Amino acid sequence: MSTLDDLLLVRSGPMTSELVQHPGDFGLGKLPVRLSPAGTVKSVCGYCSTGCSLEVHLNASGEAINLTPDPHYPVNLGMACPKGWEALTPLAAPDRATTPLLRDESGELRPVDWTRAMTAFTEKLQDLQARHGPAAVAVLSTGQIVTEEMALLGALTKFGMGIVDLDSNTRQCMATAHVAYKQSYGFDAPPFTYADFEESDVLVFVGANPCIAHPIMWQRVMRNRRSPAIIVVDPRRTETAMAATLHLPAYPKSDQTLFYGLAREIIQRGATAPAFIAEHTEGFAGFAKFVEAFTPARVLAETGLSATDYQRTIELITRPGARVSYWWTMGVNQSHQATRTAQALINLSLMAGQIGRPGTGANSITGQCNAMGSRLFGNASSLVGGFDFAREEHRRHVAAILEIDPALIPAQPSRAYDRILDAVEAGEIRALWIIATNTAHSWINSGKFARLRDKLDFLIVQDMYTTTETALQADLVLPAAGWGEKEGTFINSERRLGYVRKVARAPGQALSDFAIFKLVAEAWGCGPLFTRWSSPAATLQILKALSRDQPCDFTGIRDYAHIAAAGGIQWPFPETQLPVPADHERRLFADGKFFTAGGRATFLFAEPLPLPEPTDAAYPFLLNTGRGSSAQWHTGSRTDKSAVLRKLAPTSVWIELHPVDAAKLKLLTGHPVTVRSRRGTTTALAVVTSIVQPGQVFMPMHFPGVNVLTFPAYDPHSRQPAYKACAVALSPLPPAP
Amino acid sequence: MVAPRKQPPLLDLVDELLAEQGRLQTPVVAASRAYDQSRNEHAKSKIFPQLIPLTAPGPGEQYAFEVDLDSCTGCKSCVVACHSLNGLDEAEAWRDVGLVVGGSRAAPYQQTITSACHHCADPACLNGCPVLAYEKDPLTGIVRHLDDQCIGCQYCILKCPYDVPKYNERLGIVRKCDLCHQRLGAGEAPACVQACPTHAIKIIKVGIHLGRADTTRFLPAAPDPGYTQPTTHYLTQRSTPGDVQPADAHVLRPQPPHGPLVALLVLMPMAVGCGVVELVLTRPSPSLGVAGWLAGAAGLALATLHLGKPLRAWRVFLGLRKSWFSREAVVFGAWFPLASAHVAASLGWLPLGGPLPVVLTVAPAAVGVLGLFCSVMIYVDTRRAFWRFDNTAPRFFGSAVILGLAGALISPGAPRYLGFLLIVATVMKLTFEARALAPLPGKIADSHSTAVQTARLLTGPLRKVNTVRRVAALLGGILLPLGFALGAAPMAAAIPALILCLGGELAERTLFFRAVDAPKMPGQTDPGPGGAP
Repeated sequence: MSTLDDLLLVRSGPMTSELVQHPGDFGLGKLPVRLSPAGTVKSVCGYCSTGCSLEVHLNASGEAINLTPDPHYPVNLGMACPKGWEALTPLAAPDRATTPLLRDESGELRPVDWTRAMTAFTEKLQDLQARHGPAAVAVLSTGQIVTEEMALLGALTKFGMGIVDLDSNTRQCMATAHVAYKQSYGFDAPPFTYADFEESDVLVFVGANPCIAHPIMWQRVMRNRRSPAIIVVDPRRTETAMAATLHLPAYPKSDQTLFYGLAREIIQRGATAPAFIAEHTEGFAGFAKFVEAFTPARVLAETGLSATDYQRTIELITRPGARVSYWWTMGVNQSHQATRTAQALINLSLMAGQIGRPGTGANSITGQCNAMGSRLFGNASSLVGGFDFAREEHRRHVAAILEIDPALIPAQPSRAYDRILDAVEAGEIRALWIIATNTAHSWINSGKFARLRDKLDFLIVQDMYTTTETALQADLVLPAAGWGEKEGTFINSERRLGYVRKVARAPGQALSDFAIFKLVAEAWGCGPLFTRWSSPAATLQILKALSRDQPCDFTGIRDYAHIAAAGGIQWPFPETQLPVPADHERRLFADGKFFTAGGRATFLFAEPLPLPEPTDAAYPFLLNTGRGSSAQWHTGSRTDKSAVLRKLAPTSVWIELHPVDAAKLKLLTGHPVTVRSRRGTTTALAVVTSIVQPGQVFMPMHFPGVNVLTFPAYDPHSRQPAYKACAVALSPLPPAP
Repeated sequence: MVAPRKQPPLLDLVDELLAEQGRLQTPVVAASRAYDQSRNEHAKSKIFPQLIPLTAPGPGEQYAFEVDLDSCTGCKSCVVACHSLNGLDEAEAWRDVGLVVGGSRAAPYQQTITSACHHCADPACLNGCPVLAYEKDPLTGIVRHLDDQCIGCQYCILKCPYDVPKYNERLGIVRKCDLCHQRLGAGEAPACVQACPTHAIKIIKVGIHLGRADTTRFLPAAPDPGYTQPTTHYLTQRSTPGDVQPADAHVLRPQPPHGPLVALLVLMPMAVGCGVVELVLTRPSPSLGVAGWLAGAAGLALATLHLGKPLRAWRVFLGLRKSWFSREAVVFGAWFPLASAHVAASLGWLPLGGPLPVVLTVAPAAVGVLGLFCSVMIYVDTRRAFWRFDNTAPRFFGSAVILGLAGALISPGAPRYLGFLLIVATVMKLTFEARALAPLPGKIADSHSTAVQTARLLTGPLRKVNTVRRVAALLGGILLPLGFALGAAPMAAAIPALILCLGGELAERTLFFRAVDAPKMPGQTDPGPGGAP
């Protein structure tokens, strides 16, 4: 009978066994037999600045075959977002750059070997520098490569190649936080640690949607056992706004006014911390006088908030004994008055003494995985190690550590990204070397970059993929290894150095960015300057020396093994004063000592400015841009390569608009719409939703048409582009058949 | 400027760097193994004791998912963790995250919804499977799929109102969430539960009473739980506005055309129609029987192309007790030898006497009608609105009448009045089909009821097929037969009439499959691939 049963009902066989799981080794739990690891290693994720540790599963040859989030890392506690789970998939994409490509006379990009590529690189750039001066070549870099590579690139280009201008895409995400902290605290020093999410009583999120942009940080918020009040300042009713106690849908860019108003009310209620203000800050009196003008009537009129919500906010942030923390990201950083808005939050925390204690602080949530590595060691606006190009003693100090001639160090910082492109337009810069960023897609008012291509005599793009919008325009493509194919360190939002490991082989002739820079140094003829930079590990030792006695001192870190074993290490970590080893979560300013000359934090403020491009009759909608979903990263060059991530995000560009506006335009969800700004036109599919306010529309930044529309306004201090407010007009297209 | 290093040394460096690039920093597998096994106690980290029950379900209980909506914020890690930890194919995931929206201007509302298989108390997939490839585990209540039993007919996909079973092209079978029964069996949490950063997904035990689950905690914006008794609990402390609807409610999703099924469901009706008309006609020609047999044989042969694993299909009788799919297969399986014998007899190949020739005429027709009834019931049993009995039976039997008459027209000496009958049948069927367009409102369609969605599909993405259908019927079912009936067209005109009628019915059956509004769990706001109205 049993044979007949078996014949009729087949319970096992090749298809069943595909899914059979093997009892887990390495503490991983059960896994499909096919994916049983022979070992695991840990590596920090290469997408965002949360800095999650991933446990990479290896086959017997030591190659990555799968991964799971690391349960023992203090950042992510065993969790990851979809991009992290899928971190290995984009490495196997078919459009990986596997060999250098050089545009030939017929205009085609053709494969060449590395020596030919390096010859073209040096001949072309050296010729342009000889004819137009060293400044005729500029570099646009990234927040996506390891610190060791950023530092080598910065040193190579500025000390070895005579390049003056080097900026990176961190200009698009973190420049504001960098400048705001530097001006207020005397150093680019985000004061918090992720435990503060769990330790706070009132969390104020401004222009931040961590639920989908930083889900692992939101995990920490959800672990908060203090029944916190969560206030979200965002023009949209985002996932985070839905999860909040109180959503403040302030009119776009009116947040600075709102925070000055709150400062006034804190003073009015006597909820300031006079002792802290007196001992640890300066400029408060001027600030107090300045905010008097921000009466509730003015704030409500300019923000569009209700008096009830405003009152409730004041009550929450002034509750005696409550730990209040402020958290901001791109909604603040990408504004025409970004630095002062960020400092308005810093001021709120300073005036109430809400800093240096658990659950407090004015805290910038960073964007890219190594934005902070770029800020400290990119050698762009700060001299490598957080020093000042303009100060001779700094140049001498750095030159001594690097054992180079101080005269090689330029006395001025790089121009900012927008000014570099202006210089291309003016014909001063004739060649660009773009590394691991997709300028043609992501830079504001992208039509401008498209027009500039013809002004460039030579465009070099160094990337993992040949298909990015920028690589397609290149004269020379240098094939780069990606995350997982090289080693080094990232520095996350909470100042934690994490170790990134080589767990996969790069395809074809692709080389790590570090190796490419070494090759360029040799080909250029300045190789001997970088003899000590023999490997990423050796470079870490140089970076340690540069950090000595700086606020970011991490001389106590021995090597990569130390970082890996410690579960990441937060700076400061000076060898003279090692913290307790088990101290995984450290914040700054517990002693109230800031990094300014006088040790005091500074109140900085300015009169709010009107929107650079307000709406009018011709362009009646205010366009906001931002992240579309947790499965999408920036221009999609990596996340679009994962089939499962693609399933989790809409596949075509959309525009969110309010039902009231949709009714006027006779638009339904799914209808195609032409979106016009004064700079360009694109089409999108309508999504009718009340999460945006009437008169406002939202588009996800991951699609190339969006930055055709954006208005090129910049914060005057940080030069960060203001992606989040420009005027557009909508016209419905005839519905597709 | 220092002179560039010349070729050979640079080449050496390139080789050196490429060699270094190829060296992984992981030949330490052995060390890693020793290190990790020394702390293997941290397998505990996969257990999450607060997220799975401590004991197995007792009598009258089963496992179920519980989703805390207030904690689910749409990070979608659960989907990718399911994909990665279960070793699924490239774009395969057994969990999905959608969105429901609603509320007012003052209080807009959105909520992400994570969902996988609901491991229903009365699973429609299981009830419909023709080969018993689904089992409901008697202890845990997990609805499991037997991958090596599945024939890839995909009927479970039509049956499940939550769009849970997914067809795997590579394997030719369906796969679905098994609640990570292997992990649960070892005391580990399922992949999605392990991976949720906010612990929004839990496994709980729920009571099952006489095959019914407590569906009061099911998601309001999801398809009616009354049909399959889904066991998932969705919890929220927040107040949900009354107008909440899936964010993708507007999306037009033309369903798969299922070509082989379209062929079967046009050619078998033709076979049955020819058989019945042959019964009715006073002096039938053997060619009618042959035409019917050819149609039926072709239909049955083409239908096997629908199966992902046709060699396993001999087990199709196993589901007879519950599955209309099994019943159809068995009845049509009986029809074929009967119809073959009948054709052989009518051609004089079988020396038969007595009542047998009459029996062989009546039997295939009667069995064919019964088979066609089973075909109708296959679709009725999915409970999809467009496939209700009163909408399906007239179409399938209408095809039988039209194609039976059109088939009869080509028989030598066919009476001319058949042309009028064909016209009447065609007009009636076209009129009936036009009912599907009635729900279409004159102006902006704001309602997304299933009837409206079907009407929008027919007039939107499927408009061309709909036009083909009508033109073919107009020419082949009305104009040519009119000429034939009035004697204005030659007898040979019956051949294009039959071809056009066949084409028209094929188009109509394609619309039957493609224009159905398939129920599913709420999806994400995706204005794109489904096509705009």
